[in-house]
Amino acid sequence: MLRLENVGLRYGDGPEILKDVSFALRPGDFYFLTGPSGAGKSSLLKLLFLALRPTRGDLHIFGEDVGSLSHNKLPYIRRRIGVVFQEFRLLDHLSTYDNVALPLRVAGKSESSYRRDVMDLLDWVGLAQKSASLPPVLSGGEKQRAAIARAVIAKPQLLLADEPTGNVDPVLAKRLLHLFIELNRLGTTMLIATHDKGLVRQADRPILHLEEGTLSLQ
Amino acid sequence: MKPGAIIPANAASLRSLTVTMAVMSYLACLAIGALILVDRAVTSWTSGLAREMTVQVRVVRGADIGQEVEKARNILSSFPGITEADVLDEQEGSKLLEPWLGTRSLEGLPVPRLIRVVTDPSNPPDVVGLEEALATVKGVRLDTHRKWEAELTRMARALSVLSYAILFLISISAIAIVIFATRAVLQANRHIVDLLHLVGARDSYIARQIDGRFLRTGMLSGFIGVGLGIFTFLFLSLFGGGSGGGFADASRGLLFSAPHIAIWSYGFLFAVPLAATLICLITARVTLIRRLGVVT
Repeated sequence: MLRLENVGLRYGDGPEILKDVSFALRPGDFYFLTGPSGAGKSSLLKLLFLALRPTRGDLHIFGEDVGSLSHNKLPYIRRRIGVVFQEFRLLDHLSTYDNVALPLRVAGKSESSYRRDVMDLLDWVGLAQKSASLPPVLSGGEKQRAAIARAVIAKPQLLLADEPTGNVDPVLAKRLLHLFIELNRLGTTMLIATHDKGLVRQADRPILHLEEGTLSLQ
Repeated sequence: MKPGAIIPANAASLRSLTVTMAVMSYLACLAIGALILVDRAVTSWTSGLAREMTVQVRVVRGADIGQEVEKARNILSSFPGITEADVLDEQEGSKLLEPWLGTRSLEGLPVPRLIRVVTDPSNPPDVVGLEEALATVKGVRLDTHRKWEAELTRMARALSVLSYAILFLISISAIAIVIFATRAVLQANRHIVDLLHLVGARDSYIARQIDGRFLRTGMLSGFIGVGLGIFTFLFLSLFGGGSGGGFADASRGLLFSAPHIAIWSYGFLFAVPLAATLICLITARVTLIRRLGVVT
């Protein structure tokens, strides 16, 4: 599903942020990505959701070589990947409902075909009452839940999450972890970047540790 | 539940573009109006000139100018394709020279006599044959007005080229303005565009969210421009002054001519909003697709 071989990444002429990163995710895998701030976790995730391309090495996603992937193919690869951004990236002018439905909408689905799924998911993450609210009036935790709901609404094959429980209380963090485990059980491959040691402990899944741009399996 | 607009309506105002495009459309209307008027005026002048010729009989020593004029008139009257041959009397001839010689008496001066010839437009005379037939008349010269017709045609062609050049420059400027405006909208909504890309939106989908606004802007500005253009022609036709030609008559000719002619004027004028809409839509779409391909 996902394979990196000696991948390196640098921004412009700056120092190398990722050095010889190699690992593979198979369908159904569930990994945590840990490491101190500035270790390159977010950059690695950006590579994996195709916001960046590696400056060296090979990156294959769903059997496609990202280095030679044409611009026209990118949307179809991205639709198979769900992303929870650290800074949420909700659109402030759209309701919570419209934000969550966005991946389905851009895929060309009609509103009537996804209305029930979106409302069910909003109910599950405790945002049913806030479906018409705009993100600026949501709390940090509510925004986090809306961002997670948007990432999973299209049932992606690969879910990448950057600090998905950073703004929620321990009870909700536990619920979200159960959601991730349930999605993984249903076949979604997971890679979750987090500082939350409690979350990692509870899940008891393998850890990829990133330190100064170098990746190791723990 | 109707989904909200993905690109917010107030994210980047196209008001400046609407004003600029309306001005461009207005200028295009004026240029098209000028083009139509020049074309019509030349058609009318040249058809008038083509229907008339002038025969001039100069005073030649040893010849009686009266007899020569009569001889010329007889030849002209019997020549095929000529419907009328009027000899201008001496007073009329003197009147034609007034701009140069004033109102004083021309008695004693060798003033040439003129014969106004009207031809049959459906069966015009053979000019070479007519010149040969008139060769027997002493001091005769046939003026077919071809020189004037050529001058008018040249002038009209120059004015038409100028109008087309103005229309071309207006179109180029409009395209450049729309490109800048499209880039500004993209820049103002960069965070939305990036997110749309990351959740799997195709470039054409993102472009559709934006270019509809350019379509409406083009249409609105085009109709404002053509409305102002028609108002200008109407204003000139009513208050342009003077009945002896000029802007007033030209504008009246443009707006209030016979229906079968006026329909063309209005057709060309209302092509302006269509062109403005197409320029806005196509330029915005091409710019968006090109820029979106770069900002992967």
